[in-house]
Amino acid sequence: MWNTVFPYLLSGISVGGQYALIAIGYTLVYGILRLINFAHGDVFMVAGIVMVYMAASGLPLWLCIILDLVATSIIGFAIERVAYKPLRTAPRMSIMISAIGVSYTLQNLVLYITGGLNQIYPKIPWISDSIKIGSATTKVVTVVTPILTILLVVALVLLINHTKVGMAMRAVSKDFETSQLMGININGVISVTFVIGSFLAGVGSVLYFTNYTTVIQTSGAMPGLKAFVAAVFGGIGSVPGAVIGAFIIGIAENIIKGLDIILFKAGLTSGPMGLAIFSDAFTFALLIIILAVKPTGLFGEKSIDKV
Amino acid sequence: MKKKLDLPHLITVLIIIAVYAGVFVMEQTMAPTSMIFTVLKKGATYALVAVSMNLLNGFTGIFSLGQAGFMLIGAYVFSIFTIPVDQRPIVYQYYNGGLIQFTMPFFLAMILGGLVAALFAFLIGLPVLRLKSDYLAIATLGFAEIIRTFFQWDKLGPITNGSNMLRLFPTFNDFNIRNANGEVVVYLSTLVPMIISGICIAIILLLINSTYGRAMRAIKDDEIAAEAMGIHLASHKQMAFCVSSFFAGVGGAMLAMYQTTVQAKSFTTAMTYEILLIVVIGGLGSVTGSVLASFLFVAASEWWLRFLDQKQYIGGHELPLMRNGFRLVVFSFIIMIVVLFFRQGIMGTKELPDLFRRKKTTEGGSAK
Amino acid sequence: MKDTVLQIENLTMQFGGVVAVDNFSMEINKGEIVALIGPNGAGKTTAFNAVTGVYQPTAGRITLLDENITGLRPDEVTLRGIARTFQNIRLFSSMTVFENVLTAHHLRRTAGLFSATFRLNKAEEKRMREDTDALLKKVDLYDLRDEMAVSLPYGKQRLLEIVRALATRPKLLLLDEPAAGMNPQETDELGEFIRRIRSEFDLTVFIIEHHMNLVMKISDRIYVIEFGKQIAEGTPEEIQNNQAVIDAYLGGGDEL
Repeated sequence: MWNTVFPYLLSGISVGGQYALIAIGYTLVYGILRLINFAHGDVFMVAGIVMVYMAASGLPLWLCIILDLVATSIIGFAIERVAYKPLRTAPRMSIMISAIGVSYTLQNLVLYITGGLNQIYPKIPWISDSIKIGSATTKVVTVVTPILTILLVVALVLLINHTKVGMAMRAVSKDFETSQLMGININGVISVTFVIGSFLAGVGSVLYFTNYTTVIQTSGAMPGLKAFVAAVFGGIGSVPGAVIGAFIIGIAENIIKGLDIILFKAGLTSGPMGLAIFSDAFTFALLIIILAVKPTGLFGEKSIDKV
Repeated sequence: MKKKLDLPHLITVLIIIAVYAGVFVMEQTMAPTSMIFTVLKKGATYALVAVSMNLLNGFTGIFSLGQAGFMLIGAYVFSIFTIPVDQRPIVYQYYNGGLIQFTMPFFLAMILGGLVAALFAFLIGLPVLRLKSDYLAIATLGFAEIIRTFFQWDKLGPITNGSNMLRLFPTFNDFNIRNANGEVVVYLSTLVPMIISGICIAIILLLINSTYGRAMRAIKDDEIAAEAMGIHLASHKQMAFCVSSFFAGVGGAMLAMYQTTVQAKSFTTAMTYEILLIVVIGGLGSVTGSVLASFLFVAASEWWLRFLDQKQYIGGHELPLMRNGFRLVVFSFIIMIVVLFFRQGIMGTKELPDLFRRKKTTEGGSAK
Repeated sequence: MKDTVLQIENLTMQFGGVVAVDNFSMEINKGEIVALIGPNGAGKTTAFNAVTGVYQPTAGRITLLDENITGLRPDEVTLRGIARTFQNIRLFSSMTVFENVLTAHHLRRTAGLFSATFRLNKAEEKRMREDTDALLKKVDLYDLRDEMAVSLPYGKQRLLEIVRALATRPKLLLLDEPAAGMNPQETDELGEFIRRIRSEFDLTVFIIEHHMNLVMKISDRIYVIEFGKQIAEGTPEEIQNNQAVIDAYLGGGDEL
């Protein structure tokens, strides 16, 4: 039984780590702007595409990764400046629509550049190698992901709690108007938030696409949505919440992928049920349940609307 | 003092009659393969779906992203119940001809599609409509994804044909009247969809201008004030959600007829986004805007901007940038410009009759 | 013979650790104009919100004409006969003056969604529109009937909000700082207006206000709260001479 479940659990933890890195971008941005950045998943996808093209140019891979992360951070920064900043005083629906527009634009741009074909992600040495852990054969990236994720999250939490920028971020997410009055450079803080979020999504993309090996213009949509669900699940605005939510969703999704075999081996079913296709749907069912039962998520704060 | 039909409304009615008459004449005189008919058919379908979405997003202030899911339900219910019995073994070849062995008239199946979509909307609305704007958006989006998965599930195959295509059901071409030899006598394959869409949109307009429509607009403007006026938020949101989904379902059935085939995997979030962007281009809160934007959007993407996807030569020189996909890039930029700089869209919150209204003789006036 | 319209018993409102209203009790009799005053942040609007169902009281009981309305939703409270205005004007911004008031008639509809959509309720719709016009004429807003509500001058917007509340045909009208932002002349007119509608619409009025001239002129009785607690109750004369009230206001730096 354990030998059947273990490989799914392992890849679940790995995917969970990758979702976590994307989810942080959602949760930070939502915390500050109260905006679901629908384009965040596409930034993650663009990071993958940029990497493909950079590697094709013949630069050494380590340099490609660094340049890719820099480029992704700049893209995140630019999106905020172009598409969200002009709408800061507009109704919330306008900014969300703008985010959807950015998502549409990024996907179409990539479709145009790549011709809509799957792009092969460069094979990064060492983390692409296979290793055997217990009953599972997997890539090194599977093991590296959760460790790297935890390290980055710890670094981020330290940054938020112990630096001036972090303090400003916390202040702005607590009370936008007051922080502005207190002389905090709101636009600066928002830019930093987008840069951090995009950078982490960039790291996530390196890990994720090393695992899945191809990138196409729609590659970001599903991981993006799932990472968002993870952020909501954990309580939006909370970084640890997003990370825990992401691991739960990553694991649950992978267990469902193997549920047919697991149930069959456990003697509970007599044949395939075709349950694997529900791995995506489950995430959303989880979302609707958590929103209905505890809209603030696992670690979210309750807020009272003023009349 | 109260006239039944003032001048602006009269002009509007005349324009609409002229459009329908024009379409009828064109259909009888032009080649049925003309691009304009494709645009009109798909435009009519999208117009209905866009207006139904506008009822939620523009008039009630509910930011829902579930439209593709409700269209899917409508499309599936319609096609499942209209595939002729003798064709079922072909369509449901992997499921022994499927479970359902009867057919309905297309009209009933269309309404049933809407009703089932509305029923799903009711059930999903119970937990979801209590949520705040952005959570609601993501929850409805998630719901559409769940629906999409369910309809592809192998175990439901005897009904939904699993992940395989549904086909051989009635299409728009079946509206053409044929003589005994099978030759088309009167072409109606464009006019009828436009009439169906027109009637549905008219019903939505009636709703918007009824006392319930006012209550919905009040909710959009200010939920707390609406509640203080005795408007029960939950039930009114639920009504808007169900009505919108009903018409999205009917629109889905129309899309099925337009496409001639139906497959769950095509009803993606991207489809919802596209419809939302149409609504925004037309103007959140304007039915006229949604209709105009639908036809413009379809015409631009299927017809006018097609040339952007092909290599173009001027005097033997190949123009740069023009190749497959460029149309969508241009499109995206147009949309972003509208979203960022022309937030009112084409119509703002105005309707067609408002355009024929002179500036009011008294000062001020509602025309901004 | 006293006829109690609204009774608040031991109302407490707590947000996290903050007690906004603390064991507050009061009653309003039929036909009275009663004011609730106190320094900023004393808990006045919170009390209003508890009465109208915007907040669920932490403890206490609210009774409207012998019916317990504690914890009802805002729309249920309105249906039972309490209408209100808001401190920061909340008109329906996409609607004209006429439509704003017309919308307030929705709560008396008998037609369902279907019959309203297909115009099977013509008589009812006609009556709503006629009632709206009649009301607008009565309060001299008919000239502005087709203006967008939010394009009106500030004072008129405040007035319209009151009229919209009247259209729900309340027994008790709650006014949250109706004179805020008005000049002295407008404030005087507002005072006249409130008295006028009280008699014309057979109303009882509960008002929060900072303009002390207005409060003293129109109120029958006044309740004063500070830090969520009642510190005084009485007629305008009694309140003006009450030492606790004077201290509270001088301490709070507010004008009396």
